Amino acid sequence: MREAKIWRHFDGYLLVVTLALLCYGVLMVYSATFQPDAPGVVNSFVSRQMIFAAIGLAGFFIAVTIDYRILANLANVVYALVLALLVATLVLGRVTHGAQRWIDLGLFPLQPSELAKLALIIMLARYFADHEDDMRQFRYVLLSLCLAGIPAVLTFLQPDLGSAGIMGFVWIGMAVMAGVRLLHWLILGLLAGAMSPVFWMSMHDYMKTRLEIFRDPYSDPLGAGYNVIQALTAVGSGGWIGRGFTSGTQSQLHFLRVQYADFIFSVLGEELGFVGAIVLLLLFAFLLLRCLRVAGLSSDAFGRLLAIGVFTWLIFQVFINIGMNIGLVPVTGVPLPFISYGGSSLVILITSLGILESVVMRHKKIEF
Amino acid sequence: MSRKTGVEPITSLEDPADIDEGERDPFRGRLLAFRVVIVIILAILVRQLWWLQIVKGAEYVELADNNRFRLMSIEAPRGVIYDRNKILLVRNTPSYTISIIPADLPKDPQAVFDRLGSVLDIPPARIRELVELAPNGKRETDDFTPVLIKAGVSWDTAFTVEERHLELAGVHVQIQPVREYLDGPLTSQILGYVGHITKEQYDEYKNDEEKKYSINDRVGQTGLELTLESELRGVPGERHMEVDSTGREVDTLFVRNPVPGHNVRLTIDIALQREIARILQDKLAEIGGAATAIAMDPRNGQVLAMVSIPSYDNNIFSREITTDELNALFNDPMRPMVNHAISDVNAPGSTFKIVVASAALQEGVVTKTTKVYCPGYIYIPNPFGGLGTRMACWAWHGWEDLISGLANSCDVYFYNLGGGPPSGEWQGLGPSRMAQYAKLFGFGAKTGIDLPGEAAGTIPDEDWKRLTLGEPWYSGDTYNMAIGQGFVTVTPIQMINATVALANGGTLFKPQIVAEITDSEGKVVKSFAPEVIRHLPVNPDYLASVREGLRAGMLIGKTDNGTSYVGTSYDSEVPGLRIAGKTGTAQYGIPDEKGEMPTHGWFTAFAPVESPEIAVLVYIHKGGGKVAANLASEIFRYYFRVPEEGAR
Repeated sequence: MREAKIWRHFDGYLLVVTLALLCYGVLMVYSATFQPDAPGVVNSFVSRQMIFAAIGLAGFFIAVTIDYRILANLANVVYALVLALLVATLVLGRVTHGAQRWIDLGLFPLQPSELAKLALIIMLARYFADHEDDMRQFRYVLLSLCLAGIPAVLTFLQPDLGSAGIMGFVWIGMAVMAGVRLLHWLILGLLAGAMSPVFWMSMHDYMKTRLEIFRDPYSDPLGAGYNVIQALTAVGSGGWIGRGFTSGTQSQLHFLRVQYADFIFSVLGEELGFVGAIVLLLLFAFLLLRCLRVAGLSSDAFGRLLAIGVFTWLIFQVFINIGMNIGLVPVTGVPLPFISYGGSSLVILITSLGILESVVMRHKKIEF
Repeated sequence: MSRKTGVEPITSLEDPADIDEGERDPFRGRLLAFRVVIVIILAILVRQLWWLQIVKGAEYVELADNNRFRLMSIEAPRGVIYDRNKILLVRNTPSYTISIIPADLPKDPQAVFDRLGSVLDIPPARIRELVELAPNGKRETDDFTPVLIKAGVSWDTAFTVEERHLELAGVHVQIQPVREYLDGPLTSQILGYVGHITKEQYDEYKNDEEKKYSINDRVGQTGLELTLESELRGVPGERHMEVDSTGREVDTLFVRNPVPGHNVRLTIDIALQREIARILQDKLAEIGGAATAIAMDPRNGQVLAMVSIPSYDNNIFSREITTDELNALFNDPMRPMVNHAISDVNAPGSTFKIVVASAALQEGVVTKTTKVYCPGYIYIPNPFGGLGTRMACWAWHGWEDLISGLANSCDVYFYNLGGGPPSGEWQGLGPSRMAQYAKLFGFGAKTGIDLPGEAAGTIPDEDWKRLTLGEPWYSGDTYNMAIGQGFVTVTPIQMINATVALANGGTLFKPQIVAEITDSEGKVVKSFAPEVIRHLPVNPDYLASVREGLRAGMLIGKTDNGTSYVGTSYDSEVPGLRIAGKTGTAQYGIPDEKGEMPTHGWFTAFAPVESPEIAVLVYIHKGGGKVAANLASEIFRYYFRVPEEGAR
């Protein structure tokens, strides 16, 4: 009886917008890997992406059925496990595109930095919830920062600046929600400013090159600046309505590289134009609003913070990925949520939304 | 919920019922802030998308089009070259180059390397090395630039590679037209070769907007390939195509076909050329050294054959020539790449007597019948008294006139013509008048033949010696000059050109080697009439007398004037041909231990003497005029189809 009642609060819109984004993503992966001599054929990228989506949806519904509060108890274990995985990736990881981001689990390669984002959100949610009233004290703030800092630094060392940055944003978002005082923000801001030379020195050369290229992609048009220039050209040439699905010359003639992953937005921008991009942004906006709704409705601090964590994660990953496609952000390897090809990101993102669904479904303590 | 801070209880104490609502209020504010963040971030993204797609959209469309549309130049077929009888001398032939585009190789390329290695007969390890390391340690080009594996492979090999392209992923066959010189060394010094355009050439040619030279072109480097570059080169075509990021053609949008270059017909008779080369080579196998022969039509100055031995095979420039091969060619002391027929300068020896005889008659120094006694030597008068310097003749000839003097090639007779008799009975020509006539006969200046690398030679006079050597002109110099020794140097082409002028009654032609130029359909675009440099200001009767003397050089006999002669080339006479010729044996260098100097041998001749059809010049680097004359007579025999003595 009680089980049936909680479904009354199931947020159908959240699922629908997720499904819409997934369909949009599968279509774009299809176009990004389109074979002109075999039109209509579902290639292995598309079929794998659909399988990942299915696994993700399975994770979504498993998360829905489980009371999210159990996660608070598991937070420590998951967090420790993820730290171990990140260390293992550094030691054993597979090198692709110059970075060790993958660890082979036998069945499939896992990108632990994706899992780490979720684990961090759960861990921070539990920490902030447990210390809801201590957050006015600076040492608790610092402790929470350390919790975020450890996985972020390990990810940064892979090196994966993008994911590390998102972990930072997630912490900021959740800390804001947890009520860190303005004075502490100022202190932290000053500290960050003082630390920035150290940060710059610890950056890999490739990261500095990318920042340099971000300032002027034409300083190395055939080398480091190539992707940036081609992406801008692709998006720009899309105009109002784009050059047509599977008809973008930049994407179909492969001037874009790894266009099914980090640069899939360029394919979308080129082929579906300004209108297609706005549709995507509206879908994301709607999804983000649904996340905030979960935060607003949550009956406890843990659920509220989980929702804000996922919200922050999504919004900055969308911003960083699209931003690098359109020249607003330096190139860092983060996928576009729900759209880019890639299993780890997709499965974990959809599962995270399932957790939010679980939060919103259980927001009334007692059902009559 | 525990309350530890002192701030919150104040609100909670006021209205405990509203505690929950009171705690939610800051959340509402924060959630609102997060909504604002959504709006700000979306606004930033939309603003940038607007800028890129709507404001700058057209510019980016153009950039995208620049990416995918490519203008490819289509090489125009280079014109071919024929001999005078339309026999092909050079044509274009496809050359197959095997290369690998690393980006197209499979993940584990070893199998491809193994298969390609067995097809090309190259160790697979070497191919791997080329792909991974070439050219020096680390490959500098990106993965989309082809790496050359082997150039100039056979059609069979190229076909095999194409046929097996499925198991040779990443391996590409490129076809490039190269020049095939059908007669190789036989025509190489005339035709030259084609090679990669040099920077200087590119700077010179790039202004030719019609011919559209590019930095990757191959252009004529020497010979007619160089002088006729603008005719032989066609107009490149254009292919507008759509390509993918690897440069592979996806679609052709528009093609403008290339216009083939013009074809050239030469005045050279390849059969005669071949026979002359054979004759010279047979002799050189015996005596060694270098040799040159030229055959010319005295009626129009057309070059019928031009042979220079040793030669080289210009086909090596059509394949990838190694530096070692190239150095060996350029450093060969025999200089096989030099066309000795136009660029060698040597003392003409007695062949120069043609000029001195003509000048002496025209200037009235002597007449045809003026007699001079040859005791085998003369003493040059010494302005300070005494006997003076002894100048030897090569034999004791007795009484000589112009005919026997030429036939016997009597040096004393010509000493008298050039420097005057020691008795002072009459004035000789002197250096300036000899130089004047030599120049009229075309010596001391390039003939202007359409070949690169021609030399001018030297015709000395008093001023020349003072300016060049800083010495005064001695009377001995005059005597030496009269017999074509001393400072006089000439090229073989000058010598035969002067002979032609003598043979045809005084017309000095610019030697002609190109007969006509046609377009690819055979329509004549340029034809060449004989070009006259000048008519010699010498009475035709006098020239006839000189010809008579040259005819006597082939005979043994007596003149009406009572002088007798044994022609220096009497043993080269071909019965029935009526050849007229002049030998020359020029000394050079340092005398050997017996006091004998090494000699070059000259022979310049024409036949038949009354109405000459062909002039022949033979020059041998080692030997005398008689040997050269023997070789020339073989050439005349071939030309007039006179059977060998043995066969008669």
